[in-house]
Amino acid sequence: MRQHDETEAAPNEDDVLERAAEELRRPLRIDAALFDARVMDEVHRGSTGLRDRIAQLTRPRTIRVSPLTALAAALVFAVAIAGSALYFSAPRVHAMPTDIARTASGSPLVQFGFVAPHASSVALVGDFNNWDPKATPLRAASTGGVWSVEVPIQPGRHLYAFVVDGTVWRPDPAAPQASGEDYGEPNSALTVAEPGAQ
Amino acid sequence: MVPDAGVSPSVELSDGALVDIVLKGDSEAYARLVARYRDRYARFALHMLGNREDAEEALQDAFVRGYRSLHRCTEPARFGSWLLAILANRCRTAGGRNARRERRFVSAEDRHYAIALDHPAETSALREEINRALARLDADQREAFLLKHVEDLEYEQMAVVTGAGVSALKMRVKRACERMRRMLTEGEDAPAR
Repeated sequence: MRQHDETEAAPNEDDVLERAAEELRRPLRIDAALFDARVMDEVHRGSTGLRDRIAQLTRPRTIRVSPLTALAAALVFAVAIAGSALYFSAPRVHAMPTDIARTASGSPLVQFGFVAPHASSVALVGDFNNWDPKATPLRAASTGGVWSVEVPIQPGRHLYAFVVDGTVWRPDPAAPQASGEDYGEPNSALTVAEPGAQ
Repeated sequence: MVPDAGVSPSVELSDGALVDIVLKGDSEAYARLVARYRDRYARFALHMLGNREDAEEALQDAFVRGYRSLHRCTEPARFGSWLLAILANRCRTAGGRNARRERRFVSAEDRHYAIALDHPAETSALREEINRALARLDADQREAFLLKHVEDLEYEQMAVVTGAGVSALKMRVKRACERMRRMLTEGEDAPAR
């Protein structure tokens, strides 16, 4: 007979509880075809959206940036990258989202940058892209291992992180961290101001 | 999607292998994981939430979240436990949101469930009594009882799924068993202690 911890009840020795557990263990059959189709529809819908989002992100567009804003953004970005190069060992990862412009719809265009010279891919994931690691790949510069992407993001507070080589989840070390709400992993927090807000 | 990355349905692949295939771009392989855990976890969600619609919605949401976060499954061989953690979390959220909504007892009101059980009619009263007692447990006690005595998880596995400590889980199971026993034998409501 199995030994029980003193705080553990022993339903196997208790007909009433054993009968209850037995009833509750009875299999439940649901409409498998319908249920599976619904799940896979959602899965594929995300994939379709992914193609649309990639097409949107890779479509050429004009970004208007005031000289002062561009200079400030470039300086902050450069400082962040230099800092990360000193701080991290391989794979070096760093990001610094910088609001440098707004799209025609008014959504701020946020630039994310990484230094990851040994990575074969880097992706941005966040609540703005359903945490889809295929939705927002970063592009590598020709030298220096710098990865970057610009993403239009709605004003408000967002959580995000980076996925290196398709598997390694990294919060942004340059941004405030927020505890994972669903899966217990730390994410980074980003607050995008309303257009016109200082 | 990776062309020609399909998996023969006749090959029984491990969870870890299927997760790897999905992460390499073959989203269709995820259907195999859905089929593998669908019925068992539907039962867990139904017992946690008390009605079929909420249970199926929670389960569907858990599977979709699981797919979109699959790269965060650090131990693909334990995909089932990882998915159960997402589902349990989803059930907790839904259970809190629906706390004021009356639970429906499956044996009495869910005809599909009763048919699926294919069970003699005379047991329906007992089944309803069991479900009523289960519904009266605190959510954390109900979750612990189901994971331990219906899903047959070890306490260490339960800790991974729930995020609670082993000692706390043992206490929840103990109290759940005491209350269930009292409700089923004495017919009392057995308020939480």
